[in-house]
Amino acid sequence: MGHTIAEKILGQHAGGKPARAGEIVVADVDFAMIHDARAGNALKMIEKLGAKSLPHVRRTALVLDHYSPPPNIEAANTHVAMRAFAEKHGSPLYDVGDGICHQVLPEGGHLTCGDLVVGTDTHSTTYGAFNAFGTGVEGTDVSAVMMTGKLWFRVPETIRIELQGALQPGVWAKDVTLTMLGRLGAEGANYQALEYCGSGVAAMAIDDRMTLSNHAAELGAKAALLEADEKTFAWLKAHGAATPRPVKADADATYAQRIVIDTATLAPQVARQHHIDDVVGVPEVSGQKIQVALIGTCTNGRLDDIRQAAAILKGRKLAQGVRMIVTPASRAIYLAAMREGLFDILASAGASVEAAGCGTCVNITGHYIAGDGQVVISSANRNFKGRLGNPKSDIWIGSAATVAASALTGVITDARTVAGGDWRAAA
Amino acid sequence: MNIIKGSARVLGDEVSTDIHCSSKYLPGKDTAFIATVAFDNVAPGFAKAFVKGDVIVAGENFGINSSREQAVHVMHRMGVAAIIAPSFGRQFYRNAINNGMPVIECDIGGIAAGDVMEIDLAGGRITVPAKTIVRAVPPLPAAVQAVLEAGGLIPFLQQHPDWNLGEKAA
Repeated sequence: MGHTIAEKILGQHAGGKPARAGEIVVADVDFAMIHDARAGNALKMIEKLGAKSLPHVRRTALVLDHYSPPPNIEAANTHVAMRAFAEKHGSPLYDVGDGICHQVLPEGGHLTCGDLVVGTDTHSTTYGAFNAFGTGVEGTDVSAVMMTGKLWFRVPETIRIELQGALQPGVWAKDVTLTMLGRLGAEGANYQALEYCGSGVAAMAIDDRMTLSNHAAELGAKAALLEADEKTFAWLKAHGAATPRPVKADADATYAQRIVIDTATLAPQVARQHHIDDVVGVPEVSGQKIQVALIGTCTNGRLDDIRQAAAILKGRKLAQGVRMIVTPASRAIYLAAMREGLFDILASAGASVEAAGCGTCVNITGHYIAGDGQVVISSANRNFKGRLGNPKSDIWIGSAATVAASALTGVITDARTVAGGDWRAAA
Repeated sequence: MNIIKGSARVLGDEVSTDIHCSSKYLPGKDTAFIATVAFDNVAPGFAKAFVKGDVIVAGENFGINSSREQAVHVMHRMGVAAIIAPSFGRQFYRNAINNGMPVIECDIGGIAAGDVMEIDLAGGRITVPAKTIVRAVPPLPAAVQAVLEAGGLIPFLQQHPDWNLGEKAA
């Protein structure tokens, strides 16, 4: 009987032999990450551990992204402590404005195919886009990794999801993850790993693949793994990653479930207010008014998202009464978008561009608090009641294309019906 | 590991421990304070009436969407002896083990508030003697038992910096 990607990667890091779903393994971790929202706890746990030395600390990045820029004294002081820790121990540090952890880790060349990566954030599943097993943990776990280089894992069962056919122009990976949420429900893949495969994945650019792995966190997935191809290798090489050790699933691997999605005919999807698994096709709700449009976060704040928004808004104005904020996921994306002239297009249309960070995802920096009764359309990953600071406002979730098309018209809009909505970079 | 004996305290399905048992939405409040108000919004008076040694009996996906291990620190302060539920949120389950809190996946049907329960972790059995409920549960993996017995991952690594799980790992 063969093995899944998760069984192989965890097994390779725990002595060499592939592991089996359900086993507990103690595995060597290649890279770890702590971000500022959990650093207070993590630094406390490291102190409690009281290790004489932290031999693996240089393979743990500290990222100042959630409180970027710091909205209060407590956050500012956490940042001071993180900078001091990184300086003392030689850990890589990404400071305010450098970007969101899940973007800067791959961009910084910190991971490659076949790696095992942990981070103090549920969206650490993002690294699966690069054929690395990425998963979310807490401060105690990262302390253990810094001291021993190892961590215990329960080897997850895997759901295999085949995407049949390239997405139409105007339809994005976000529409696939929302479809999955509609089918399985939030936490519908709790404890499990996902493997996305098929021609739909092959056709996707890296930016979109990262969305696929990232947004699996809302399904409760422990990891969301893609096989590597020439696009993966080229991207990793361009970002200075170590030599890839690609891992494929065996044809006779055991899966908890197999799902097929006809991605060739998929329409754009949105999650309605408060529940990420209350998913409907955009055509079914077009006409729903919106007042706020947000593009950003680790889910959809990448260059292709901003390019798509600019293609829709080029030479046009936001609908009357609509405010729009664009927050690139990293400084590298910020610079690239600026150099491509995308900020000129977006600002001329009436949007605001903010420094890279997690700001538009959750109300911890007060980047955007909507008023009572207002409707937000966002490219983020979660829409719990009150996530943006006001339980009397609604958050709808869609792709960057859907957000930009809706900002243009003032109502939830299918990007396929507006000029520029068909933009996609030649893969 | 000894048998855990305690009274059942009941919570419903899909309880987020980030929301109901951490300071995530009560910035500036410490663990000691949260321990006096935890779960009040889903079960009024829960923390106040909690007696050290009680067992939390929760519904589906206990700890759903919860990443903060502070929740487990709060429960220790309340005196929670163990938690049983049909399913747990992934990150919560991990945090519980890492912080020395026994968590057992088990059917909770028929167990009511106040029932005195006995939990045999190594033997894989939950009983409610007064109701003649006896339920077999898969014994916790040896590695997990070793971490729990040490009181959590940090004390475990202080004793075993080489991750030696002892004979139990065999």
